[in-house]
Order: sequence, then C-alpha cells, then structure tokens
Amino acid sequence: MQQFEAEHKIINPEDFEKNFSTLNLGPTHPATHGIFQNILTMNGETIEDAVQTIGYIHRAFEKIAERRPFYQITPLTDRLNYCSAPINNLGWHMTVEKLLGVASTKRIDYMRIIVMELARIADHLICNSVIGVDSGALTGFVYMFEKREMIYDIYEEICGARLTSNVGRIGGFERDFSPTVIQKIRELLVELPKTINQFENLLMRNRIFMDRTINVGSISAERALNYSFSGPCLRAAGVDYDVRVMNPYSSYEDFDFTIPLGINGDTYDRFCVRQEEIKQSLHLIKSALENLPEGDYHMDVPEFYLPPKEKVYSEMESLIWHFKIVMGEINVPVGEVYHAVEGGNGELGFYLVSDGGRTPFRLHFRRPGFIYYQAFPEMIKGSVLSDAILTMSSMNVIAGELDA
Amino acid sequence: MDNEFIIQQLREKFPNDVLKIDTSSDMLMMEIAKSAICDVVLFLKNELNFIYLTSLCGVHYPEQALPLGVVYHLHNLQDNIRLRLKVFLSDDDPHIDTCVEIFSAANWMERETFDFYGIIFDEHPNLIRILNVEYMDYHPMRKEYPLEDSTRTDKDDKFFGR
Repeated sequence: MQQFEAEHKIINPEDFEKNFSTLNLGPTHPATHGIFQNILTMNGETIEDAVQTIGYIHRAFEKIAERRPFYQITPLTDRLNYCSAPINNLGWHMTVEKLLGVASTKRIDYMRIIVMELARIADHLICNSVIGVDSGALTGFVYMFEKREMIYDIYEEICGARLTSNVGRIGGFERDFSPTVIQKIRELLVELPKTINQFENLLMRNRIFMDRTINVGSISAERALNYSFSGPCLRAAGVDYDVRVMNPYSSYEDFDFTIPLGINGDTYDRFCVRQEEIKQSLHLIKSALENLPEGDYHMDVPEFYLPPKEKVYSEMESLIWHFKIVMGEINVPVGEVYHAVEGGNGELGFYLVSDGGRTPFRLHFRRPGFIYYQAFPEMIKGSVLSDAILTMSSMNVIAGELDA
Repeated sequence: MDNEFIIQQLREKFPNDVLKIDTSSDMLMMEIAKSAICDVVLFLKNELNFIYLTSLCGVHYPEQALPLGVVYHLHNLQDNIRLRLKVFLSDDDPHIDTCVEIFSAANWMERETFDFYGIIFDEHPNLIRILNVEYMDYHPMRKEYPLEDSTRTDKDDKFFGR
C-alpha cells in the first residue's frame, strides 16, 4: 500500500510578511448552508485567496450503486441535490430507459415535465430566498417558503414523500395523478405568481439589494465555459445552454418557453435568471397540464415496472415479475449511455456502463455543483467577506450533490 | 459538422493515436493513445469547437490488459455534438497528462479520479484527495474492493434482531 502525503495549502509563510491573516469560514458556518470549509487569506477585509475543502458528507454513492439493482439506485439520487430530488429521480429513470431502449408515451412525458418543473421551482425558490436572507432580508424568505410548502404537498400527494421523494418508477409512475394533485397544482398556479410579485417588489429593484449584488462574484462567459458551468450560473454569464432545449428529453420540444439570460454573470444576474425561470416553469406546468394527453401512466416494461398489487395476488405472471423485480434478478442489455437532464442548478448527467448484469458496472454522476464550485476562489478574489457569502449562496451549491 | 468529419479530421491529424472508433452507442466513442490525449483534446477544443468538458471520470476493468480507464465527455455547443474519449492505462504505470491547462474544470474532476482510482495526472497543480480523507491508503472505486454482499449467510446479526 502506498502512503500518500496529502497536504492542503493552508498558511503560506509569505503571508506573515505581508501581514495577511487566515480566516476559517466553515465547515459548519450558519451562512454557508451546508458543510463547506473555506480557508480564506485576508488582507484586511479583502479576500486574497481561498482554499476549499469538500467531502464532509461523502457517502460513496457511485460505489454503492455498483451493488444495487437499478430500481434501488433511485433513492440514492434523491440525496444528490436534495432541493430538487424529483429531477434526479426522473433523470435516472430516463437513463435506464435509454439503456433499455424503451420509448415512453406522451402522458408519462408530460407528467414528468410537470413534476420536474415543480422541482425546479422549489429549487429556485429556496436559492433565491436564501440570497435575500444572506443579504439581510428575511421577510421574502418566509413568503417563498410558504409556497415551497405547497409544492411539497403536491409531491406528497403524488408519491407520498416530501424531501427525498423517490418519485416514479423505471417505466413511468407508480400511480396516476389523483384529482387532488391536479387541484393542488392549479391552486399553486394561481397563488405562486402573487407571491413572486411580492417577493420581487421586496428585492428586485431594492437599492440596498442591488448594491449588495450587482458586480459581486461575477464571472465572464469565457471563464464560465472553461469551468464547465451549467444551469442558471452559466446562463447568467450570457451563454444560452439549456439541456431542455439543446438535447430535449421527455418531450420538452413540444413546449414553447424562453431561456432567460444574464449579461455580467454576477450575483444579481443569477438571481434574476432564476426569478424568470420560475415564471417559465409555471408556464410549462400550465401548458403541460392543459394538454395532458389521455393514456396510461406507465409503459409496458414488465421486467422493470412493478405490477399492481391486486394482480400480484391473482395472476401467476405478475407474481413472478414482482418477485424478480424486487429481488433484482433481471439483467439489462450491455452498453454505455450518457443521459443529461437540466437539474435545478445545471446539467445533471448520468454516465452508465452496463456489462449485462443486474447492477451497473459503473455509474458516474455528473454533478453540476461539484464542477462549478471550483471557480469559487476565482469569483471572490478581491472582494470582501460579506460578498463571498452572497456569491456562495447565489451559486446554489448543494452539499449533498457536491460530495455524492 | 458530423461524426464522419470528426473521425476524418482526427485520423488525418493523429494517424497513430486513434486506436478504436465506435459509433454504435449513444455518441461517438474514440479510444485514444495515452501519450496523445492532451493534444487530441486541445485539437478538438481549438479546431473542432469542443469547448465544453462535460465530465471526466475513471473506470476499472480488472480483466483487461490495460485495466484503468479515463473517460472524457466533450460537448460542441455550437453544433450540439457530444463525444466520448477513452484512454486506458496499465496498473504499473497509471500516469496520464493533465488537462487542467486546457479546461479549468478538469482540476477537481481529475482529483476525484485520482482519489477513487489512483490514476495519477502528471503536472496537475494540486493532485490530492478530494472526497475521501487524506490518510486513506487505497483507491476505493477499484473493483478489488467489493462492497459487502447482501446475500451472504455467514454474518451473525442476532444482536440487531435479524
């Protein structure tokens, strides 16, 4: 066994001569919203350098996934970006369906779009309201959280869970949308725009908020692409890359929606891009709900989709399939797929290598937060400490996804 | 631009380094010789507009002669073409050149690959473990470290009520 001498650069001897001081931000700091450690080198109040340490909640999901049948990997994806868990779940289901080569129906696609856009709204709501909190405006946060609760109630109605949702199955949904779900979504479509108006009145043109966020933590489009930014952070820098438009999945091509763009790539632009995306998501949900086609809520994939319970008790085939699925006895085709979905904070990719067994041979999660968080020192260099806090919350880095 | 054009361009520029081409999966896959990987990535970025490094990760095939793999996913945002590059390394010499100079995003991705597979990226500015603890002395995603088998019967679980 090789012994590695790992060293995190913490204090540079030259810093003493230059009168720099070292400041530990985190790992458990109330303003970092998760377990992040940043060791900052400060020149007075200005940040000269930052070194990040991550991995505090690493749970080895990629390794665990190599031992699990496909349907048991869905709960692992819940815990990546837990602010928008349904997107991760459905992204994983679509990856497996891509490997199996089964085509979904329009009804499943539209139902998935509704769930995924709800999750995107929940993700953006929490991120933007937390930007407000970190700049000292708690009121908006409370308004928005009330509405996030409505979204969680809808999840609960669809799948029974709230935070780690485990929604859907490989091959569709476990049950159809009930009338209560439809009613609750319609309620949200009426209520949420009012709250967003209130929230934007509080912050969007607020002089103090604008002074705190404009030109704070900005990054150019070129650097953002070099750092493989994705999602709202990339679009705030002015690059119109959205997986939903570029590589449409789940019938996103049927819908007409716009991709908001920023100019400076600063905290204010990221905030505005998310606000506009919430409105676009509401529009998407509305049109998907209006045009929701009739049909079945699951595909005909008996090898992966659990049969209904009454059939398990009355039909021999269903009982056999039920047993085989639950025990994870079913082999999948040999192959490699990469499937990307637009997650709450960027391109969430699943690289799946299958050797034909009951479990993946290799599964790699492309977590957007992990990739763009490395640009954080570059974005805060030369700014003051309070700006670093705002930059971090506006990047929407989620610890669960960062550490996988 | 399409896959044919990319294959032709790369064959012209790197006649000996493109070892294998596979168009049967969801995107164009090419196996590249280890010595040329940085030149290929740089060429793809500058000449063929693959400006976006989607992901970089390791794979371990213990049965193969060259068991350790590094997989690059590149994306041409203008023409919307995705590309998968693979490099295979031997167990004795798991060294490969770093792409940090070409893509800043590769920094942590390479650290993660080093952490989990022990693949050493030469000239990397800060190649230390990223998600695991510093004093760990093995690379846990390699296949020789299996997770516990859930079907084994030799385990005594009576204290846990099972």
